[in-house]
Amino acid sequence: MAFPFLKCSGVKMRSTPRHLPHVLMLGLIAVLAVVSLHVGIRFTPASEVWRALTEGGEDQTALIVNTLRVPRTLIAMVVGGGLGLSGLLLQTASRNPLAEPGLLGINAGAGLAVVLLVVCAGTSSLTLIAAAACLGALLCALLVFSLAFSAGGIASPSYLLLAGVTVAALLSSGIQIIMVADERTMEELIFWLSGGFADRNADLLYLAAPAIGGCALISALLYPMLDALLTDDMTAQSLGVPVVKLRLAALILAALMAGIGVSVAGPVAFIGLAAPHLARLTGLQSHRDLIPLSLLTGSALALAADIAARFVIYPSEAPVGVLLAAVGVPVLLYLLQRKRIGGAA
Amino acid sequence: MRAASPVYFSTPVASRIMVLALCVSVVCLLGLAGVALGSSGMPLNRVVSAILGMGERSDGIIIWSLRMPRLLMAGLSGVALALAGFILQRATRNELASPAVLGIVDGAALGVMCFLFMFSNESNALVVSIMWQPLAAALGGIFFASVVIILAVRTEAPPLRTILYGVALGALAKAGVTLFLVDGPVHRASQAAMWLAGSVYQARWADVEVMAMVLVILVPLTFLFSRRMDQLQLDEISAQASGLPVRSTQLMLFALAAFLTAAAVSFAGAIGFVGLMAPHVARLILPGRAGTQMLAAALVGGAMVMAADIVVRILFAPLEVPAGAVTAVIGAPYFLFILIRAGRVHA
Repeated sequence: MAFPFLKCSGVKMRSTPRHLPHVLMLGLIAVLAVVSLHVGIRFTPASEVWRALTEGGEDQTALIVNTLRVPRTLIAMVVGGGLGLSGLLLQTASRNPLAEPGLLGINAGAGLAVVLLVVCAGTSSLTLIAAAACLGALLCALLVFSLAFSAGGIASPSYLLLAGVTVAALLSSGIQIIMVADERTMEELIFWLSGGFADRNADLLYLAAPAIGGCALISALLYPMLDALLTDDMTAQSLGVPVVKLRLAALILAALMAGIGVSVAGPVAFIGLAAPHLARLTGLQSHRDLIPLSLLTGSALALAADIAARFVIYPSEAPVGVLLAAVGVPVLLYLLQRKRIGGAA
Repeated sequence: MRAASPVYFSTPVASRIMVLALCVSVVCLLGLAGVALGSSGMPLNRVVSAILGMGERSDGIIIWSLRMPRLLMAGLSGVALALAGFILQRATRNELASPAVLGIVDGAALGVMCFLFMFSNESNALVVSIMWQPLAAALGGIFFASVVIILAVRTEAPPLRTILYGVALGALAKAGVTLFLVDGPVHRASQAAMWLAGSVYQARWADVEVMAMVLVILVPLTFLFSRRMDQLQLDEISAQASGLPVRSTQLMLFALAAFLTAAAVSFAGAIGFVGLMAPHVARLILPGRAGTQMLAAALVGGAMVMAADIVVRILFAPLEVPAGAVTAVIGAPYFLFILIRAGRVHA
């Protein structure tokens, strides 16, 4: 099955400078990050923010900026970027424009693994939690893909997505049963499971940022092979690409990034779906451009959603998942209604 | 009942009656188990005498005011969901269809949240009768169902993609519900998580009465459509040729399914996968015409939710795990199974 975006003409592609989108996106992220430090239930003037950042202090403004807004801004950037790239890798690996860690149940797998770890071992070690999340994400990704591929050959996009959605439903009801059965855990985890960037444990960032950066670097090194994977399997194979191994590698990288994202911010859906497609709107098609662009778009989306969440039902804060659904569902519907996707099934 | 036409006459009348009788007896047994089991078990003779109003007063109170409404609500919502699933699978000719995957359940939940939000006063008490709640749920369900259907028809979507439209819009509705939970009347938010997961734990007689009234209207209506559902099983052109206004029939069936789902959702919450599984079981045990199959589906659906509620009470007592979690644990693997089967056929 051809990738629909391959239709875009090469001519138009060359007419825009290749690095312009990257620079613009970096600029957007910078602006959003600055805005994110300034706004909230109350607006903090720029001079105050600057003073808090440089001098610190114990007054209310400094505390709000340093302990609330800085962590959530950083977390949104790191986790959003990881999820965006994870979505891109999943889409390439499954040759399926609908693939996304949230919809494929990978986030739910990570969530269940963490819940099980906390219930069974009672641990609160951040490293262990992150490891469990990654393991759960990986197992779940393998399960969904093997389910989808069990029908023989490469599964149709709708098929993979339905398998993922169902696995997600199954795992969430597992989480639900555990949570009701163990009230102590529920108190601890219910907030984490709601998914979002505010009031998260920023200590995990020391682990998450290098890990996601590392995964991004590895996927960037793989870019020529990932490009080849966009053609059909036969062509890729004849170009010397180890198709099966590469798929597995992309899947593992995607699951690791999703797992780390979940361990920091809880399950966050739709960034992985929307970010790569927004990145493709630039007309760039090579993974050399799409990998950094998906990363940046994911960060920007997460930041924008996090900022918007503070105002939708002002003065209380909306769950960021609601805003991401409001962006992600139209993207999903748009992708679905293009005739080519969905296939005969 | 109408005389069966030879084409559909796949199961002899006698064995059809046998199967239905079996279903009824399973439902009755589950009903007895449902009133007998709970945090305090009760021997059957005490159960029977309490039901007949001759036993001890405490037994009577436990059964009539605690267990009976819960049991009836489980059964009735199972019946409603199963019928809705049956109608949808017939109307869309898609064995993966069910109220949940077509977005009707989440739409109905959003309808209920809007209703509670608009018609509660400062102290979080409803200012209008609870009678209107199913109507609000139905409006929400119908709205989302019609968006899904319009999208599917306009893009000529194949079955799997139709389901995905439902999944996508369901996600949107769910986001709306979450927003209301954060910003809505607080006392509801604490219960709402439970209600959304699908639980009959808090059923009261008043709810059961409304539910029963709704079903008394809807169920006969559904059975009036059984012949047309048989016609719809043919391909579209043959159905048209047999004198059936296909589009309008489908629309009426969707509305009916939305109302049935709404009734279940507004009182018992989103009990997932019953609407998917019950029609499949019915098709397995009673292949053939819609009429009797629908009866079987209704009985199976009722039995499923009752059984799930009993399982919840026994396995997790004294905790109140929502029955919907149990049906999902059984239903999701089943859905995967038929998905893989469908994939094999297409591949």
